[in-house]
Amino acid sequence: MKSDKGKHSKHFYFPLTRRNFIRGAVAGSVIAGAPAILKGLTRRVKAAEKGVVRMLMTAPTMIPGDWKRFEKDTGLKMEDTVIKDDPGIFLTEVQVNDAGDRFDIISTLSGTEQSLIDGGNIMQMEASAMPNWSGMPASIQSMPYLVRDLSPDAGKVWGVPLAMNADSFGYKPSTLGEPRPPEEASWSLVFESEKTMGRSSTGDNYIYLWEALAYLKHTGQLNVTDILNPSPEEAKATADFLIKRKEAGQFRLFWKIFDDQIAVMKNGEVDAIRCWEPAVNEVNKAGGDWVYATAKEFYCKWMHGMYITSQVEERGNLDEVYTALNWFLSGGYAAAITPLRGYLNGRPDLAVDYNNSNGLEDISTTMDAAQEKMKLKFAKEDFWFSAVPDNLQEMQAQMDRVLNA
Amino acid sequence: MTSAVYSPNKSSGLRDFIPHLPAGVWSLSGFSLLWFGGIVLPLLAIILVSFLQGRGLNINFDPTIKQYERFFSYGGGDMLARSVRIAGTVTIIELLLAFPFALWLAKGCKNNTVKLLTFTALTVPFFLSPAARVIVWRSVFGINGVVNQVLLGAGIVDKPVLWLIFSEFSVHFGFIGAFFPTMVWPIFLSISLIDNDYLEASGDLGASRLRTLLHIIFPLALPGIVAGFVFTFIPMLGDAVVSSYMGGNNVLMLAAQVQSLIGVSNFLVAAALAAVVLAIMLAFQVLLWFALKPVGGLAGVFASLRR
Repeated sequence: MKSDKGKHSKHFYFPLTRRNFIRGAVAGSVIAGAPAILKGLTRRVKAAEKGVVRMLMTAPTMIPGDWKRFEKDTGLKMEDTVIKDDPGIFLTEVQVNDAGDRFDIISTLSGTEQSLIDGGNIMQMEASAMPNWSGMPASIQSMPYLVRDLSPDAGKVWGVPLAMNADSFGYKPSTLGEPRPPEEASWSLVFESEKTMGRSSTGDNYIYLWEALAYLKHTGQLNVTDILNPSPEEAKATADFLIKRKEAGQFRLFWKIFDDQIAVMKNGEVDAIRCWEPAVNEVNKAGGDWVYATAKEFYCKWMHGMYITSQVEERGNLDEVYTALNWFLSGGYAAAITPLRGYLNGRPDLAVDYNNSNGLEDISTTMDAAQEKMKLKFAKEDFWFSAVPDNLQEMQAQMDRVLNA
Repeated sequence: MTSAVYSPNKSSGLRDFIPHLPAGVWSLSGFSLLWFGGIVLPLLAIILVSFLQGRGLNINFDPTIKQYERFFSYGGGDMLARSVRIAGTVTIIELLLAFPFALWLAKGCKNNTVKLLTFTALTVPFFLSPAARVIVWRSVFGINGVVNQVLLGAGIVDKPVLWLIFSEFSVHFGFIGAFFPTMVWPIFLSISLIDNDYLEASGDLGASRLRTLLHIIFPLALPGIVAGFVFTFIPMLGDAVVSSYMGGNNVLMLAAQVQSLIGVSNFLVAAALAAVVLAIMLAFQVLLWFALKPVGGLAGVFASLRR
């Protein structure tokens, strides 16, 4: 047991981990023991297997198909497992279910790093062990939340960027009479427009409440002290705004998953939707006329990072893990993920050479366009999304209030 | 008291300390112990956790009712009432649809091929993912779906009907399709067990078909009806797929709410919600007990299966 040094110092806290459960069971606590025993039966610690790297990652950053290129380049075998990127589910898997016992690398939405460092779940990295690290632009290395800006060890490397993007929304320019990118379009198409009344949509969780809050800030409807960490009062005011818009009939639905976004665009249920960029690509492949907005007000910038679990040190396969991480920065991953999803990773500059030297498709036009687009989007000030803002639960509760209205 | 039980080894060590009880009692005790450890204790743990405080994965052992206050202040009461109302309404609709269908299947349908095909049709949906089972309705009820095309084509409406999807109507409809088999199967089984002699005797004694239905078939089918109610109503409360896919999250229900709470590590409010649901289930149990009292309670209802 240990006390939470930060926010609730006057209270005695019991960190919910499997090991603490087991200790409780040994002490005779049947209630705490039962789930621990069950977990013990269902979870198996995997010993390091020579030449195998195990990675826990989320669906959007997966390369569909197989890891043939990775395996050819590194001589390692990759065993991947996909997990939902809800912060609660991810942190429970890592911190309660001890994912580090089974995985060498874990990857998820940025913002969870501090919690993983505090929980002793990830280990500090040696940037020099990854030759491709040094060529990464300083702007990426110094991104907030992500790589080197983490207290209490600011300046130390804890993670490697996997994929990043700046999200906006999709819309049908021909139907709405709106300009096409690179001309800007306003988020009002999603949140408060007569043109899209009853034909717009956003997501069902706290991220989308956060974006509505950013919209209110940019349109001068709400004073926001810190956009990176909204207060409960700001979250409530945003929920009030969304409820008003919902009651006015603005939203057709609040989507839950990626497939939902594609389905409602394809079926003609909406004309504007806060969605992921690959959803627009998918709909257009099927003959749609959708564009992904060059947003007037802001972008929701995000990054998935990769981290080495603390258990790797005792497993003794650290060198292989660094080899794997270095591959993700070698251009091989960028050459796959950027044409597929439009996302960038830490070394997009190596992707073209990677493909050329391996006799693969020339992707120079795609990569140039993606980097240009990213430069434009990242130039907007707001805002870097964190998976775990201070008032995460309050924000989700306010979003639930919107859904319940 | 003398014992004639053969004992090959008089000093059997540990066994001397174990009471000599019939094997059936031991297996019953073992089951009770498992049930207590696997079901009751976790439920008690959930109730306990719902009265604690904490943040994320850290729990503070100071008793409080704050989690309940938080749950109800974010519209949790409305969500619960909506969930119970929708699940209750759909269960009653299912019963009205399933009873005549099960009666026909058990006693009316004499063609084995038709019976086999019907069984297959009732079973196949369980091989599909819950999402696949309901998502097909979107292309039927959507803004450009089949129903709207027909209505527009026939000139019945001049613009698409929007409430066909992402509304309470579509959630009800999605549930009716998804949970029809769970109501039909138990009723079909209990009606199948009714001896045809009873039905013939009723007719021979001059009872009309309606009278036979009300006074013979219905009471003997009650075990299936009660089981159908339980297998339909309870899982429906725990279904997150229909309300999300058919309701477009405009109709937030219990299971989706739990998912949302777990998704942000809000385990304490999730525990409070689970405790409230448990209380509602207990209240239903009491209601069921009162409702079945005139027919001898739950034991009386299931006694018909022993005939």
